[in-house]
Amino acid sequence: VTDPRPAPYYDPYDFEIDTDPYPVWRRMREEAPLYYNEKYDFYAVSRFADVEKCSTDWRTYISGKGALGMIDSGMEIPPGFILFEDPPAHDVHRGLLSRVFTPKKMNALEPKVRKFCAESLDPLVGSGGFDFVHDLGAEMPMRTIGMLLGIPEEDQRAIRDGIEEVFHLEEDQSTPDRADYGSSPIMGAGFEEYLDWRKEHPSDDLMTELLNTEFEDHTGEIRTLRREEVLAYVGLLAAAGNETTTRLISWTGKVLAENPDQRRELVGDRSLIPNAIEELLRYEAPSPVQARYVTKDVEHYGQTVPEGNVVLLVTGSANRDDRAFPDPDRFDIHRNIGHHVTFGYGIHFCLGSHLARLEGRVALEEVLQRFPEWEVDWDNAVQAHTSSVRGWEKLPVFVQ
Amino acid sequence: VRVVVDPRQCEANAICVGIAPDLFGLPDDSDVVVVTRPVVPGDELAIRNAVRLCPKQALSIEENP
Repeated sequence: VTDPRPAPYYDPYDFEIDTDPYPVWRRMREEAPLYYNEKYDFYAVSRFADVEKCSTDWRTYISGKGALGMIDSGMEIPPGFILFEDPPAHDVHRGLLSRVFTPKKMNALEPKVRKFCAESLDPLVGSGGFDFVHDLGAEMPMRTIGMLLGIPEEDQRAIRDGIEEVFHLEEDQSTPDRADYGSSPIMGAGFEEYLDWRKEHPSDDLMTELLNTEFEDHTGEIRTLRREEVLAYVGLLAAAGNETTTRLISWTGKVLAENPDQRRELVGDRSLIPNAIEELLRYEAPSPVQARYVTKDVEHYGQTVPEGNVVLLVTGSANRDDRAFPDPDRFDIHRNIGHHVTFGYGIHFCLGSHLARLEGRVALEEVLQRFPEWEVDWDNAVQAHTSSVRGWEKLPVFVQ
Repeated sequence: VRVVVDPRQCEANAICVGIAPDLFGLPDDSDVVVVTRPVVPGDELAIRNAVRLCPKQALSIEENP
């Protein structure tokens, strides 16, 4: 039987596809497990096993050239920007942060995270509705990462908005403006003043710690971090700590509104919430596509990807692969998930996974305590279309 | 067979805990993953996956302890 339809087409910049990419990802998994996009000249793998395998093979699938749209721009990636670094520098730079985000340290933050949620949500009780993004998802993660880094509360909003700006895509704009990355907060621009001030006024925040930690770098030199390295760390953490969890909270609002039975179960039994967050992470990955660059010819399904090409690892698709998850398009808070690839795999595994889980869980607990039921105000909901994350920009809801 | 965690490498990403929650654990007061019980027949696949997927390659299998 021949399929009369044209071959599947996946375009990460196409708003219509981004609105619901799951049908095309399913076709890619079935019909083109090694997919090639001629327009942007990238390859993509979408099956769970392939995403997992490529993620762990950091020697072949390198990160040091940046994201799609940056790779061929020749943009300089600052040292310390570990998302786009490879060993050995990556391992040294990551090592400095690996004790910062441990479960123990993150759990100690729980009362603060809960307080931020309460301060966002309490004024909305009795108001008839709220916006999962504007009122909670864009607020609490910003205040949490801002507190960890040591960014003054009054400046956090401007920084968050600057980060959103650089990821934001316009309709019909084929690729994001490449020039924007270097001068944006995600690469550390705008944090210089805080850094200089922190040097003179040490505190117990991460910025102070980064300025003072002595370490052995990959050349064997014992030193503290250079200014540009600290700026890269701070920019990356501010971006990673804001954008991703904001979208997770937006998906929480949307998916639970569509599954009121499961939401009722969560209200009745809070112990189900951690697995519900895990299932939300699987079901709607906030960062669904990761870019790699291959350092040698690689073969997938009998086809060769020549050295120097871009391979996208479609984690959002891997999480919906029925080879890994039975009935993958069903949202099920009771699912025995095992492991999903939302936080990636291998040496770039999300350093903030415990913080994300904590924030996701506490946000949902605090919402359910005040608003056990809600309905999405679809006329005013807006999906976010960005070059990095997938989720909602506005998710207003009605409550009883 | 024994599975060993290198505490100098472990970052507590806890992928192994997700793969085999009854074998690996992350106690509240610990910065690293711990092995919570002896290996039993039937653990092989989970252990292989945990070793392979550890971001820091902090897990190893000791055949004859």
